[in-house]
Amino acid sequence: MHEISHLQLQKNKTQMMTLFVSIGITMIFAMVAMGFGSSKNLDFLTSMKILLGIQESTGLQSDILWNLRFPRILMALVGGAALAMAGAMMQGCLGNPLVSPLTLGVASGAALGAALAIVLGLTLVSIPELAIVANAFLFSLIVVFIIIKLGSMRSVSKESYILIGIAITFIAGAIVSTLQYFATDAQLSQLAHWSFGSLSRPNLTNVLWISVVVLTLFPSGLKSAWDLNALSIGGDDFAISTGVNPVKTRKSILVLSAFLTSVVIAFTGLIGFVGLAAPHMSRLVIGNDYRKLIPCSAVFGAFLTLFADTLGRTLFAPIVIPVGVMLSIIGGPFFMYLLLNKRGA
Amino acid sequence: MNSLLHVQNLGFHWGKRKVLDEVQFKIQAGEFVAILGENGAGKSTLLKCINKILKPSYGEIYLNGKNVQSMDIIEISKHISYVPQSISSQFSMNVFDVVMLGRRPHITWNIGKNDLEKVSETLEFLGLEDFAFRKFDQLSGGERQRVIIAKAVAQDASLLLFDEPTSDLDLKNQIQIMKKINTLVSRENEVKVSALVAIHDINMAARFADRVLLLHEGSILQQGTPSNVLTEKNLSKVFGVTCEIEAKTETTPLRIIVKDEMDGEEK
Repeated sequence: MHEISHLQLQKNKTQMMTLFVSIGITMIFAMVAMGFGSSKNLDFLTSMKILLGIQESTGLQSDILWNLRFPRILMALVGGAALAMAGAMMQGCLGNPLVSPLTLGVASGAALGAALAIVLGLTLVSIPELAIVANAFLFSLIVVFIIIKLGSMRSVSKESYILIGIAITFIAGAIVSTLQYFATDAQLSQLAHWSFGSLSRPNLTNVLWISVVVLTLFPSGLKSAWDLNALSIGGDDFAISTGVNPVKTRKSILVLSAFLTSVVIAFTGLIGFVGLAAPHMSRLVIGNDYRKLIPCSAVFGAFLTLFADTLGRTLFAPIVIPVGVMLSIIGGPFFMYLLLNKRGA
Repeated sequence: MNSLLHVQNLGFHWGKRKVLDEVQFKIQAGEFVAILGENGAGKSTLLKCINKILKPSYGEIYLNGKNVQSMDIIEISKHISYVPQSISSQFSMNVFDVVMLGRRPHITWNIGKNDLEKVSETLEFLGLEDFAFRKFDQLSGGERQRVIIAKAVAQDASLLLFDEPTSDLDLKNQIQIMKKINTLVSRENEVKVSALVAIHDINMAARFADRVLLLHEGSILQQGTPSNVLTEKNLSKVFGVTCEIEAKTETTPLRIIVKDEMDGEEK
């Protein structure tokens, strides 16, 4: 075997090791995070003992662990992974590092849906707990539908997707602002709370369903890794010459990413930064090969979201800082440090 | 004998503007064919139509007797590889990974040992072994061009299309690239490789090409050996310059010395 092939295989092994170590660290941290909380009935050590099977749990302790903390932590892992994966794929297929899952206007659609439910009570579902979620999901799906229609037009370019996304964001934002203008104080507060993003809203059943959807869609994303490599590195003509249909690929990847985003933010509210930062952090660590970048972004996204949420609910406990806010506060400077450090190197 | 490529009565319009009109030619296996023509003559458009990047307005393109329009992109990419003038991207990869993209038409997801070996061999062939693990965006223009050519070679295609491969390069790199293309088409491989090269440098075309297609305003003015096509009259008509031709000898290639631009009346 050529020396270069040998070196490439070694490099692949190192990258796979990095990925597995990152998964390991995230899983260990997820277990540790199960120990953090403001309950006086369940301190950190007791939580760890229960999780490791050293100590039996009381009914209340079991409830706190499995019905409160576990869904929240699982939602952080699954939601963070889904948004980061969507962000990485969208950046690649649009050839633009500034793109995030919120660029296409999916989140603005969800916010409009939530605002209609909160302020006007316009909803398709009569169950109050699900009304906002259902509306947010429905309106984000309308944006996905617009993306599908846009992708079917012959002359659509990658810039068109971004511009249409910006237009949708402005239109939805204007309607939400109008609704806010007429909303009561209570409605305004509820709407603001929704837009902060929170992982405590979905219950265990919701989170398990979201996990199933995300895990089912994950292989489709991974399958498009080669196409994303060709598109992200050389643009449309280069992609065609390597056997990739850029129009079809872009459409299917954007729909997949937008759907992943919808599923998550309909339940959690706006969580934005992870979809931009996690893919870039992964690029710095593992490179731009999408066969490794997609899983790595998912792991980094999961870790980042879980870390931000754990910090947000323990730093000023019992006050909880919303995960969306925490992500931007701690993720932003860290992200800038990584980028500047890399540029310097 | 079936030609490798047969372009029949090809036309391409951008709106009402005719970019290509009734272009016809054939390429045999193992041929080095240069496309020459003024700016806007339709050289790049012709290459993009052959590779199905653009859809012709009329006419047919046959590859090994099969109509290109009836083939899907992945099938075409197993036979035709296109080298754009340059690529620029916001994201970068290692040189090895960029060249590995040439194997994309032949693999589903996993990279096999054969693919690794093919990429390594290609990197060595193009003198890029020392660059294998360097970032693509940190290379010079000439090195990048060689990497893109390496990707095309790794693709194992029988027809290579080059869109002005020497346009951004210094003199040494220009000669190196043209020599590599020449070596590729003259290699005694199982599958003979042909090259169709859109180029501005008429002396490079005269030195390396077996045949020249001279495009003028979207149509082929003349095609044939460099000596037959690159005449003072043809060059004056296409490029609007006066020139002097030094005939090919046993030791020196056909040489064209461009003297001056022509006045409108002279042309």
